[in-house]
Amino acid sequence: MHRFSKKALRFVWFILMAAICILMIYPLIYSALGGFNSQSEFSSMGNLFPVPKKLIWNNYVFALSSTALRPLINTFFRTAWYTVVVLVMTVLIGYVMARYEFKGKQFFMVFIIVAQVIPSVLTLIPTFVMVSHIPLAGGNDLFGNGGKGLYDSQLMLFLPLSWGYLLWPFLFMQSMKSLSLSFEEAAELDGAGFLQTILKVILPMQKPILTVVAINVALNTWNDWMTPFLYINSTRKTTLPAYLATLTASLQNYGQKDYPKVFALATLAIIPPLIIFLFLQKYIVQGIASAGIKE
Amino acid sequence: MGEIKRTGKKEKKQRSRQERRTRRAYKIIAPFFAYIALWGILPLFYGLYLGLTEYNGLSEKPVFIGLKNYMDFFTNAAYMQLLWRQIWMGAICLFMNTILSFLLGLALNVPAKTRGIFRSGIYVPCIAATSITSAIFVVLLEPNGVMNTVLKRIGLTPVTWQYSQFWMVFWIMIYFVWKNIGPAAIIWLGGLQSIDASLYEAARMDGADMFQRIRYITIPGLRFVASYIILTGIIGAMQMFDVVMFISKGNPYGKTDILMYRLYRDGIVNFNMGMAGAESTVIGMITIVFSIIYFRIVLKKED
Repeated sequence: MHRFSKKALRFVWFILMAAICILMIYPLIYSALGGFNSQSEFSSMGNLFPVPKKLIWNNYVFALSSTALRPLINTFFRTAWYTVVVLVMTVLIGYVMARYEFKGKQFFMVFIIVAQVIPSVLTLIPTFVMVSHIPLAGGNDLFGNGGKGLYDSQLMLFLPLSWGYLLWPFLFMQSMKSLSLSFEEAAELDGAGFLQTILKVILPMQKPILTVVAINVALNTWNDWMTPFLYINSTRKTTLPAYLATLTASLQNYGQKDYPKVFALATLAIIPPLIIFLFLQKYIVQGIASAGIKE
Repeated sequence: MGEIKRTGKKEKKQRSRQERRTRRAYKIIAPFFAYIALWGILPLFYGLYLGLTEYNGLSEKPVFIGLKNYMDFFTNAAYMQLLWRQIWMGAICLFMNTILSFLLGLALNVPAKTRGIFRSGIYVPCIAATSITSAIFVVLLEPNGVMNTVLKRIGLTPVTWQYSQFWMVFWIMIYFVWKNIGPAAIIWLGGLQSIDASLYEAARMDGADMFQRIRYITIPGLRFVASYIILTGIIGAMQMFDVVMFISKGNPYGKTDILMYRLYRDGIVNFNMGMAGAESTVIGMITIVFSIIYFRIVLKKED
């Protein structure tokens, strides 16, 4: 009797979890299918699974060819840039903070920790004002007036570095603590300098945590639609998720809407992170888990 | 004599090595922190100042007007309503997400081969940006969309969700949970797995029942994880506006409008930088106060 009820319980668990998973993934499936519809066919949008009578590649072709191609390329460049910059920052700051003793280290440490809990809303508006008043940029004079500064400049896809990124040096520091000093001491005896020690000794041994950092930063950057949405006005210069943000916001307006086109773009913007997730999810999970548990 | 000299030399050598390392540390760290401060600390103080001014973001200089923006904010019923709504809508979203993700974490803590697949499935929604997936929800909620098809199939009358405050808040909450439950569940799961299994064994030996085991082992063991989830949750929920902007646009009749969305419109859309600066200071401070209160409660329990 007892054994039977355990088996039944397991079965219920399985069905329940499967149902939850299907519900979680369902909107993405709906979107992928919707992208294959023609605009007129999709007008009856109530189908649970909008499987088209005839596969129409138009929307996906549009997404990859005309207006949306530039945003897609921009997103790739931006993601690559931030991944590299944050990795370099993570290794340098994390290594120095973990291994060097110097005056003011405590101050930097407090800065790193406090930065994690300061709400970013406090800097949203002032940063916007300051960026559009940067002197000698975008038609501004020496005092930052007259033009639009870096507003609507593509530099805004690459320049900002918020303190939220300091989470990663912090995690790297934690991981350095469990690495024995003897490797670096041996390297130093062999006459290795600072950079050599990092490149030849630290990087190979810290590969797992650096992979965690790289993947999480890449995903977050890809999905950060807010910065380009706030600062960049022209479709040509923006990123794909930010371009979709304008499309999504306009779905609330009245009039004819080309839903399948939006779905094709949405699906396209989901595919790169989805591929990363499917192949490297171990590292993603490790990233959130260590952010949550190590503190 | 000679011995003393030699040790002095050694000390000197060591000190100069330490000095070199200190200088190198500054050389490496300082540029990064200076640059981050440029994007973080400078705007932080400029924002406090902006709140005390009237400024359209375009003209030469902000005009100092003292506390007028704050007076307007706290005496205007409309603003207070938006603030209050930010708090209760955020609280509903956060509460549901915390509870449901905990239950999911418990459910995932069952040894089974399929567990990995389920964990991935639950995590998938959060790998796509809000700007992308909320579009799908908007379409699902159209009057002749999928949600109403489901209602019709099970024999209920369709609902025009967009006309009702209740339903819009409901769907905003559903979207929030759908999007955020994955990471939270995995953090709960990590916490559950980090509890030493032998503690349960020992408790069982001592004759503790299931509820006692949960009360005295599971809950204390999850304290850090819980405080992380709730703290980041408070910060996130108090700054939520994208979900509202995309899914309800504050409608019907502004009944799901919240302060963060108003702040975005005041500042970025209508260029009322002074008022937006004051609003962001208010939200930021309230968030910090909530965080501190929460910390106090957690720390008190520890005693």
